[in-house]
Amino acid sequence: MKKVLIVDDAAFMRLSLKNILEKNGHQVIGEAENGKVGIMRYRELNPDVVTLDITMPEMDGLTALKEIKKIDNNAKVIIVSAMGQEGFVREAIMYGAKSFIVKPFSEEHVLKVLNSI
Amino acid sequence: MSKLSHEPMLEMFIFETAQLLEQLEQVIINSEKISSYTEHNINEVFRIMHTIKGSSAMMLFNSIASLAHSMEDLFYFIRENKPQKIDFTELTDLILEGADFIQTELVEIENGREATADSCLLIEKIKVFLGDLKKINQISDQSCKNNEKAETIKQQQYYIGSDSFAPIPAKKMFKAVVYFEEGCQMENVRAFTVLHNLKDLVSNLHYFPSNIVEDDSTEEIIRVDGFKVFFSTEYSLEIIREILMDTIFLKHLELEELVGAEELIEFEKNQQAKLRETQSPEIKMIEREQDLEAHSKSLNQSIISVSVSKLDTLMDLVGEMVIAEAMVVQNPDLRGLELDNFQKAARQLNKITSEMQDMVMSIRMVPLSATFHKMHRITRDMCKKLDKEVKLEIIGEETEVDKNIIEHISDPLMHLVRNALDHGIEPTEDRLAKGKPKSGTITIEAKNAGSDVLIIIKDDGKGLDRDGILKRAKENDLLYRSEEDMSDGEVFNLILLPGFSTKESVSEFSGRGVGMDVVSKNIETIGGSVSVDSVQDGGTTITLKIPLTLAIIDGMNIKVGKSRYTIPTASIKESFRPEENDIITDPQGNEMIMVRGECYPILRLHELYNVETKITNFIEGIIIMVEQDTKNLCVFADELLGQQQVVVKTLPDYIRQLKTVKGLAGCTLLGDGSISLILDAGGLFNL
Repeated sequence: MKKVLIVDDAAFMRLSLKNILEKNGHQVIGEAENGKVGIMRYRELNPDVVTLDITMPEMDGLTALKEIKKIDNNAKVIIVSAMGQEGFVREAIMYGAKSFIVKPFSEEHVLKVLNSI
Repeated sequence: MSKLSHEPMLEMFIFETAQLLEQLEQVIINSEKISSYTEHNINEVFRIMHTIKGSSAMMLFNSIASLAHSMEDLFYFIRENKPQKIDFTELTDLILEGADFIQTELVEIENGREATADSCLLIEKIKVFLGDLKKINQISDQSCKNNEKAETIKQQQYYIGSDSFAPIPAKKMFKAVVYFEEGCQMENVRAFTVLHNLKDLVSNLHYFPSNIVEDDSTEEIIRVDGFKVFFSTEYSLEIIREILMDTIFLKHLELEELVGAEELIEFEKNQQAKLRETQSPEIKMIEREQDLEAHSKSLNQSIISVSVSKLDTLMDLVGEMVIAEAMVVQNPDLRGLELDNFQKAARQLNKITSEMQDMVMSIRMVPLSATFHKMHRITRDMCKKLDKEVKLEIIGEETEVDKNIIEHISDPLMHLVRNALDHGIEPTEDRLAKGKPKSGTITIEAKNAGSDVLIIIKDDGKGLDRDGILKRAKENDLLYRSEEDMSDGEVFNLILLPGFSTKESVSEFSGRGVGMDVVSKNIETIGGSVSVDSVQDGGTTITLKIPLTLAIIDGMNIKVGKSRYTIPTASIKESFRPEENDIITDPQGNEMIMVRGECYPILRLHELYNVETKITNFIEGIIIMVEQDTKNLCVFADELLGQQQVVVKTLPDYIRQLKTVKGLAGCTLLGDGSISLILDAGGLFNL
């Protein structure tokens, strides 16, 4: 069981992820609708894993990733991204994201990624 | 609204996408106003389309997803290349068309039908537009690619620059071939992850395909042939294997130690040559960050969305609770008992229930802004079609009303704005001839007035034609009084009557056979009223008076015989016992009463509803004066029972379908369990 923080501006995406995670025994301890809130929640909740969307208002996923890494260099961050954003995903990997999930995602993919880190 | 109960995911999808579309429309209309797209707005549209694409792909609504994708591409191009020549009108039309398409599909989906419409045509149109855009701005595909390359090349340097070209120490050399699972997507980025994981442990790192960073089509090669990595390291084969085995979505790994490394040396040469070629790292990360700061001022509220049906249920429950409270506190068994402690507790209960009521009400309150902003789009479309110049001003959009009410005022409002645009505002030449400013103004204003909200739609057009209205009213036999006696206000309000429409020709936007009477019907169903005022050549003002909420009202309970009635307190002016000599009966037998020199008609409730009562003489009963739109009427009843908050319930279908019982707004349960009929002040006048 992992404690997960979901950061995505689309409530729909948060719900999809949450459904998948909770169905499989993980715990979603927090949600955030942009990078800024995401960082705040990270500080508050200290989750095992963070899923980060890239394109978000206020603060995007990459900036948030860097900030989270500043707070805890060992933070486990998974990038959730759509096709066509390969460049950003690469950047995220360099900044220390553990892995990534491609939207639209399947339950199987999400679990595999989550269980592998 | 929805006919089927949806799965929560679908519901969320529809809700959020609809919201995004609203935002999109807002951005587009704002941009058009300043006739350019700011960087922030372009980003917004990009982001909205990106989100819609992602969500609809998850829900397998492919036509929406691909449409959103093509719009995302278009805005990506605009964002990255900042073309100088853009036909903004065409761009706006295109995006709005796209938004409309998605909107229509959403409605289909919401109604439980398949979203089957084909977006190909529209996508094609967007592609053509994008192609033209590239052409006229002389940006070829090649140069866009270059742009992207410039960005990625820097990353590559950042990565390889660390230690890969250090002199080769005497270490073991390995070759690894990594195969990924089918369907895991973005294989090239996954390959990049592999490199990233290795880079701290190995040196002299080379890989094939070597352009995974620049070229996303390499994922196809990796999918088929695997990703080949060459490196030297001092770690053992086992450790390296372990690290590589950790790769997510790894299907198969081939790892071997190399002896003769010709393949490798070849590689190295290529790599170095390539690196020398590309030394132009100008990347605009900073710009993006600045952009973000620029619009990070919006509020940080934490909000959850709840389905309306739950709120409706909560509202009903609170309503029931109010009734139950009355039943307990006013229970007939308690009559005549002295119960100090009970009264104290009852007061406490009363306080809490009324607080709860207020809370539930406030939860259901929604600002009018979304409804108002829809009018921007209508104004825009109509101005284009009618070739008029009109400015729409919105005041007080933050005013809140009950969610149910919002649904009822959207259509009337749209109708009124259309009317103002079509009939009210004159063509530009006429305006100039009259010495008015070239562009017309329509103002929509909302404000609170007691327990009502006023929505005022004002235009500075030609105003209503008094004589025309009178003529038309005479033709249609709608005059209820002689012409000379009617005030301007009364004449103008004639247009609200059913069967009235001054426009001879039917245009595309307004006057599709439904007229102002439909507007006034709609507003009346939610307990509101409409009034019209106009000045020749100065414009027309239409005021909608709308109650804040529907469900719970303050009412005065009255008794007639064994029946109970409730009159909304808001419409009661006064109540009094009449004196014998105030009563007047005219030759037709109409009864009237004189109050402070004014004469008012009297309505006997017991006659109206055929109720048996002993009190038929005015001086034995009580008169309640009700007011509606400056008209007054005196209602005669047996006695007043007291004031109370009542929960409005709709009348049962079998009564409503009769349509012969008039003047009722609904019914309610009283504290002693009896049913009371709620009188509709407006309806009583039309008897």
